Amino acid sequence: MNIVKAGSQGILLPDLNLEFDCSGTPEGHTFISHAHADHMPRSKESHVYCTEPTYKLMRKRGFEGTADVLAYGAPLETDRARITLYPAGHILGSAMAFVESDNGSVLYTGDYRTPPSPASEGFELPSRNIDHFITEATFALPIYRWAPHSSLADDVRTFASSSLEEGYTPVFLAYDLGKAQEVMYMLAPLNRTVQISDDCFQFCSVYEDAGFELGRYEPYDQTNFSEKILIATHRTLRHKLSPHIRAQRIAYCSGWAAGSRGRGRGSINRRIPLSDHLDFFELINLCRELHPKMVHITHTPNADVVRHYLDELNIDSRLLE
Amino acid sequence: MASTPFLELAETVQNMDDAPYRRDKILLCSAYLGSLQTDRDLELSAQFLTEGPFPASSGTRLSVGSRTYSTCAAAFCNIDYEKVFKPCKKALGDAVEAIEKLMANIEDARRKRNPASLTLPEIQSRYEMLYQQSSRRGKQQILRESWASMTPLEIKYFIRIMQSHPLPIHFGSEDMTEALACAFDLPAGRVHYTRMITGSWGRTAILCKNGRIEEATFSPFTPLDLMFPSPFQAHSEFDSSNFVAEEKFNGLRTQVHIKSSQVRLYSPDHGDITQRFPDVVQFFVSLGLPGTVLDGELCSFRNNKLLPFSLIQKRLKSKGSNPDITEKYPVLFIAFDILFDHQKLTLNLPFSERRKLLERRAARYAFPITNQFNIPSRHQIKPLYDQALARGNEGLILKRKDSSYKYGQRDASWLKMEKPPASLQAVIMYAHTDRRKRGRTYSAFTLGIRVDTDDRYEEEFIPIGKARGNLARKVRSRLNRKVKEYAVEKYGPTLGLLPKIVVELEYDDIQVNKRTKANYVLYKPRFSTIRWELAPSDTDSLERVEQLYLDNLEGHQLGQHSTPSFVYQNSN
Repeated sequence: MNIVKAGSQGILLPDLNLEFDCSGTPEGHTFISHAHADHMPRSKESHVYCTEPTYKLMRKRGFEGTADVLAYGAPLETDRARITLYPAGHILGSAMAFVESDNGSVLYTGDYRTPPSPASEGFELPSRNIDHFITEATFALPIYRWAPHSSLADDVRTFASSSLEEGYTPVFLAYDLGKAQEVMYMLAPLNRTVQISDDCFQFCSVYEDAGFELGRYEPYDQTNFSEKILIATHRTLRHKLSPHIRAQRIAYCSGWAAGSRGRGRGSINRRIPLSDHLDFFELINLCRELHPKMVHITHTPNADVVRHYLDELNIDSRLLE
Repeated sequence: MASTPFLELAETVQNMDDAPYRRDKILLCSAYLGSLQTDRDLELSAQFLTEGPFPASSGTRLSVGSRTYSTCAAAFCNIDYEKVFKPCKKALGDAVEAIEKLMANIEDARRKRNPASLTLPEIQSRYEMLYQQSSRRGKQQILRESWASMTPLEIKYFIRIMQSHPLPIHFGSEDMTEALACAFDLPAGRVHYTRMITGSWGRTAILCKNGRIEEATFSPFTPLDLMFPSPFQAHSEFDSSNFVAEEKFNGLRTQVHIKSSQVRLYSPDHGDITQRFPDVVQFFVSLGLPGTVLDGELCSFRNNKLLPFSLIQKRLKSKGSNPDITEKYPVLFIAFDILFDHQKLTLNLPFSERRKLLERRAARYAFPITNQFNIPSRHQIKPLYDQALARGNEGLILKRKDSSYKYGQRDASWLKMEKPPASLQAVIMYAHTDRRKRGRTYSAFTLGIRVDTDDRYEEEFIPIGKARGNLARKVRSRLNRKVKEYAVEKYGPTLGLLPKIVVELEYDDIQVNKRTKANYVLYKPRFSTIRWELAPSDTDSLERVEQLYLDNLEGHQLGQHSTPSFVYQNSN
């Protein structure tokens, strides 16, 4: 099977005329795994296939092309292959594409998370054999092992409650799409008002349409942060919010929070390693379970360690460059 | 009474590290120290937090290198050191952090560990076992056995304590002072003083806890915190009649501790430099001074002339006692203050009284002391300053006659007037990224000088030093843009540049270094300004650097014949 990388993000299966997470070509069938900016098509001419929530989120992010919406598990037949989307557990609408053809089968994961994010449709694998497994490996080192979501959710709620009780405004550093809604979903049982950015605000309706309860939320009101919980990006917090907050406590929610020397170290009170990617051990276990003929590793700062462990499992692998 | 578990200390330190603000760190530390029941636990906690596995005053140093504990950890976790451990270390930028994560995450390591809630004295005994062991294998055996009884967090701080003092948690000596003061409701100044004269955080903590800080006593061989001068502001109000002037030597600030036939020399950071200067030790031993601590300057001195600082560095770089180096680079200790005399600290005496004491001791035991000059009026300062420079000295120190010795402070009772730093025009040859920051920001630079007309070289420019560009934000942005524009080669985090950007560099000294292409390096080079208007051909040449070095070395220093910089009855 011919599998190549297109640019910094996209993946192509030229023999099958399939393209993933790129702007695509008029001749090809282009699939978008989810609505994060680094996976979205950039061209207004693009015609893509994706899930309904992904399409709605992309529209809200400025996507001007056209899309055919596919449901999970409903296959699309092309002249050379059959493509079925499976829930990827990364963010709402995220999908893995399972490709079946005469040349063998391919599972393209995009970004994924198993166990899945609680604010997603879950994670599900195809029941048939996978010959080629194209996987991201963002956290591809054994220093990364995530705690269960239930424990992370407790951390999130405890941080918010204790900060409020002590007279501080709790601020969660999280991306506007995906992580922010995951944190809101975890905070919902506290029944407190969460203030979020305008961008984040418009994405929330898509989550609610899909049946996720995000609690009470409103856009930032710089005149009234009292008793509120904030969710913001680093940049928004620094340039827009911090000057108006009397006393704040900051929690950094990201897989990168697992390392204590990362970004924003100087001002962060709590690091919560809440990731929407799977950890190293989950990746190796998944490869062991699937035991594909070949693992194609992409989106990774270091493929060597994963490949070393896959070698020990007698699974062939390569870095997609 | 049960001893405190080491885990409590490890958790406290982790919380202190996580706390973004200094005040929070101090409060966390203070609460922990205040909660300890036994003197021994308090002593060990204070020691582990600041001095390492052993008291700083004991001189005992634990030598367990990064490779020893890293390979041991890889074996403990049953992972490949090269293929797995090293990438993990690289990703986190820190071997100890990687060890903590691997110990927590790897199944094999989890199986081997059975945390036994080791107490602080038990941890201390592990350090002692490691100290007794000289082979790497033996040390690794002890590490394995110790780690088997610890949590990942304990392992992290078990290594950190033996590896770096103070712990890398942005918690310095001043913070520890405040934490103890807060824990035991004492003035921070008293805690600082007690720590300084006892030389031990552990002992200080016990005295604080038991309300006995008045019992703290000083004895020589506990290095004291030195007093430093503030810059003299020419326009400020200044009553010269309250001050005296001394010349500021281009030497190494040193305190000499003498007791009976024992003499030790300490650098300003309390480093023991005794072994580098056996001639100075021998000199003071021969004088037979009673218990005394002198503050002064070690200067390179030959043929009745004070010589550049770079020659002192030859002595500092030599390992142990080397008779050839000692003879080739003679030094002289010139005292300018006395801090301890006849079983008493003199820090609280006015400077004029300390000076009289110093003069009496110098006259009786014959050792060099600075010459003092009265300053009847402000106009007298300039001639004195010029005279100091003419003798190759750095300038003047003006000292207030009635001031006490403000240990550990940069205080306006002493004012320094220094000659402006020397400067050179150099060209940027290489730009290096700052590893601590994200993105490609170039903040350190290798600077070159011109050798295009020099027959000894084929290149146009050769390196003369490396400097950080501490520049205003706008200038830094412009410099970064230009660096990227002129980049022609890339070696990892380093860019090789076309020689286009000319920089005016300030530096403290020029030193010979035969391992460099130029044979010279600049000592403490720093950016003065970027000379955008200059062309590479305007940079200074190696010949000029050589000439500046020779001028400085042999140049025009006046001897010590009339109105000398210092007084020494045996001076020849």
